[in-house]
Amino acid sequence: MSLDKVKRRDFLKIMGWGGAGATLVGCDMPTTVTLEEGKEEVVSYLAPEEFVIPGIGVWYASTCQQCPAACGMHGRVREGRVLKLEGNPDSSVNAGALCQMGQAGLQGHYNPDRVTKPMARKGGTLVEISWSEALAMLDEKAGSKSGLNGDRMAWVTGAVSGHQSVMINAHLASVGSRNHYVQEVVNDAVWRAVCSDMLGSSNPLLRLDKAGVVLSFGADFLGTWGSPVHFASQYSKFRTSPRGTLVQVEPKMTLTGSNADLWLPARPGTEGVLALGIAHELMTAHGITNVPAQFKELISGYGLNRVAEETGLSAEHIRRAAKLLKDSAPSLVLAGASAQGHEHGYQCVAAAMMLNIMLGNVGKTIEAGSEVPFNQMRPNTGGSRDLLTFAEALDKDGYDVVFFYGANPVYTAPEALKMADKLGKVGFKVALSQFEDETTAMADLVLPLASTLEDWGTHVSAVQTGAAEISVQQPLMEKLYADTRGFGDIMLDMLKMRKSNAYSGFDDYYAYLRNAIKNMPAGSKKNATADDWDKALQTGLLAVNGKSGALTSRSVNIDMPKTDSNQQYPLHLIPSARLGLWDGRHANLPWLQEAPDQITKIVWDSWAELHPKTAARLGIKQGDNIRITSSQGSIEARVYLYKGISQDAVAVPLGQGHEGYGRYAKGIGVNPLKILNPATDRKTGELALFGTRVSVSAGSSNGTEALVRLGGSETQVGRKLVATISADVFERTEGGA
Amino acid sequence: MSVTQHFSTGRSTFCGLKRTSQDRKVPGPVAFLLFCLALLMMSAPVFAAGTVPGAVAPPDTFNGDDVAQPIEFPHDIHAKVNQINCMYCHTYARRSKVAGIPPTSKCLGCHSIIATDKPRIKQLTEYWEKNEPPKWKKVHDVPDFVHFTHEKHLKRFVFDNDEMPVERVSEVCAFCHGEVKEMTVAKKTKPLTMGFCRRCHEANNGPFDCWKCHK
Repeated sequence: MSLDKVKRRDFLKIMGWGGAGATLVGCDMPTTVTLEEGKEEVVSYLAPEEFVIPGIGVWYASTCQQCPAACGMHGRVREGRVLKLEGNPDSSVNAGALCQMGQAGLQGHYNPDRVTKPMARKGGTLVEISWSEALAMLDEKAGSKSGLNGDRMAWVTGAVSGHQSVMINAHLASVGSRNHYVQEVVNDAVWRAVCSDMLGSSNPLLRLDKAGVVLSFGADFLGTWGSPVHFASQYSKFRTSPRGTLVQVEPKMTLTGSNADLWLPARPGTEGVLALGIAHELMTAHGITNVPAQFKELISGYGLNRVAEETGLSAEHIRRAAKLLKDSAPSLVLAGASAQGHEHGYQCVAAAMMLNIMLGNVGKTIEAGSEVPFNQMRPNTGGSRDLLTFAEALDKDGYDVVFFYGANPVYTAPEALKMADKLGKVGFKVALSQFEDETTAMADLVLPLASTLEDWGTHVSAVQTGAAEISVQQPLMEKLYADTRGFGDIMLDMLKMRKSNAYSGFDDYYAYLRNAIKNMPAGSKKNATADDWDKALQTGLLAVNGKSGALTSRSVNIDMPKTDSNQQYPLHLIPSARLGLWDGRHANLPWLQEAPDQITKIVWDSWAELHPKTAARLGIKQGDNIRITSSQGSIEARVYLYKGISQDAVAVPLGQGHEGYGRYAKGIGVNPLKILNPATDRKTGELALFGTRVSVSAGSSNGTEALVRLGGSETQVGRKLVATISADVFERTEGGA
Repeated sequence: MSVTQHFSTGRSTFCGLKRTSQDRKVPGPVAFLLFCLALLMMSAPVFAAGTVPGAVAPPDTFNGDDVAQPIEFPHDIHAKVNQINCMYCHTYARRSKVAGIPPTSKCLGCHSIIATDKPRIKQLTEYWEKNEPPKWKKVHDVPDFVHFTHEKHLKRFVFDNDEMPVERVSEVCAFCHGEVKEMTVAKKTKPLTMGFCRRCHEANNGPFDCWKCHK
């Protein structure tokens, strides 16, 4: 059959046959994925290690750097590329698990917006320079001949621990400076202060797994408090045989709150009042008399009716919470972000801790922790106070040289602190960074860091696990960019500029770490052997003999202020953090942007969460664009209506609203930190993160953009996809069986 | 290793039809019919009883491009003239999903002594002395969403096949790679499409679940 003479009839015949084989022949079409020969390169090893087999991964141990918990991590490396990260089963922090932030560490490493070359500000813009030029600039400004005076230099970092902390301290000491600001917006700084004052240890060991009931005042331990991975594993034990009860008190539902048996949206700022009310109920109705005299009088003023009125909760709920604490002992009371983020935050947390003392939890569910014996290596977890003290110091005398590492104050500081303006007055700003974030973009010298998967380090977890462990970070693959350098390597270069004698023996940070671990006193190592270093690299961990001290039960003054109402700004602003974008540091990782918020299921955006009743009162509908105004400024976002929020609050998530930080982060959503009042907790000086009052009005335009949600429907549209039964019907028909 | 790009050139092969100058002149509807015919021919291949015991060799053919390599590696001299087993160099085939390009050190294992005066070996030695492996061009590939493993195929046709001596492994390799021992540099002579895989799995009782290959 000649092809150009095909008739209509023949064509139909052909199609008829084709129908029978259609499912088969479809497989022979090289569709859009046409793999042409000779287009890709394939390169062999020059001389491979014996154990390397292309196509089969080799796992190396390292340490996750996505949050201060420093989980142990295993990375699968294939053909010289790291491809997958998992938890290290031997780590006491995460016992083999790794959260989504940890998994997304790969995208920080392979991020297309990495800084790949040193840059210096020339004529107002950052231009690429060579390392020799960069080091010469450093030597001129901060070397031993620079005449830099200790008071004129500062380090601004995120939480640090291990030998990185030792290096920073050594550099500060070499210049004679004590100015180290450790800035973390998502923190448990007030909890630590209260633990230190009342229990005699800032970092006690919490045993959720031993508790029968956990009462948490805004401690989102499954999401953003301490180490969510560590607590999730404790939580699973807490929830099994017998099943523990979780009571969560918070103004906006967190991941932990959504798992609670009883969720109480106390009016923001009244967490302490509620704690005192529960204490009152425990004393009067449950005969708990183990109350320090100092508290007795205070508690007596917080009767059920007063507390119900101030917190906006029903008396019945308060009674139930108190009864649970008594009946399901041992209990554990925690306090986190939404309890500590007020001007009287310390008082709220102290009132919660007082419940622990009353209920006899100290020694049962709160145990003495174990600390690494080397003070300098312990985690320096910092807090938001150092944002304020840094801004004050810049105002007062300023600095000649400031180093930035792992902190982004231009993004995290409230607008009221005028951080960007103040930084402009610093003579020489040096950013050690993987990315061009807002602070790095203002620097005079940018030193490109190797990624956390290419670098050496040692870390001590910020979370207390009961085991003193040093977690080793080692490169999982060769550097992607030849002109990036490890943090420790840069520090060694800078230290050599100040004190060449002490550090000249170390060619690089690897040599320094190896020497440090080799020379660690044998008595401090657990199971010390001759090949400690090899073992540490294989397991990723170095167990040491921890130091611990007994816990005390001390009282502090609790002075709970009367809650006030505010006519001009009737609502409380909740800058809510989530496991994902965290404080905004992960906004440049598309996996975490794409992973929906655990409560609202919204992706790639900011939103304003409101209670449906509040919205109805204000005439606001789902999806409306609203303007949220504080005394410091305003932001706009679309409304998401949800009942999991106090009627007195509006919540805007942290993490978006970047003006820089690469293609994935830039220009998405708003940053609620910008409109915070710079008020502080009176006792600790921590930023009162949840203490800002706002008003809500219609936004500038409704436009056409909608919030993008995974799912999209709140109901089953009558399809009974999941069969449900009400509790009382269940009780009547199947309960007690 | 250089980062590879899978989607760089878009679709330019269409069952290999578009390559001849004659086809380019064919008007649209007729080209479509030609395509239908081609599909029909492929849908009913004839499986010839092969020489590999306990196996049916796939009969499909494909006329691939000639690919210029950095060194014109003569497969014929190695595999045919000198009778070197395929797995001597592609040693990972029995252990891994990929057969692997032999490490440069393996080439030098022989060629630091043998045929050192030949131009191609001089070229190879230059690479070795620069500490740089040659950047070969990939000839055989399947998409990233296909999980193909050499290890399992060799197990089925050679190591678990009592009648098949390992010395004759090249006949099994030829199922998908064609008669490489007749070539200098490799050329794609089998279509490696899903239909090709599927028909062979059918003829040889291979697994048929979607997820066996699309994991």
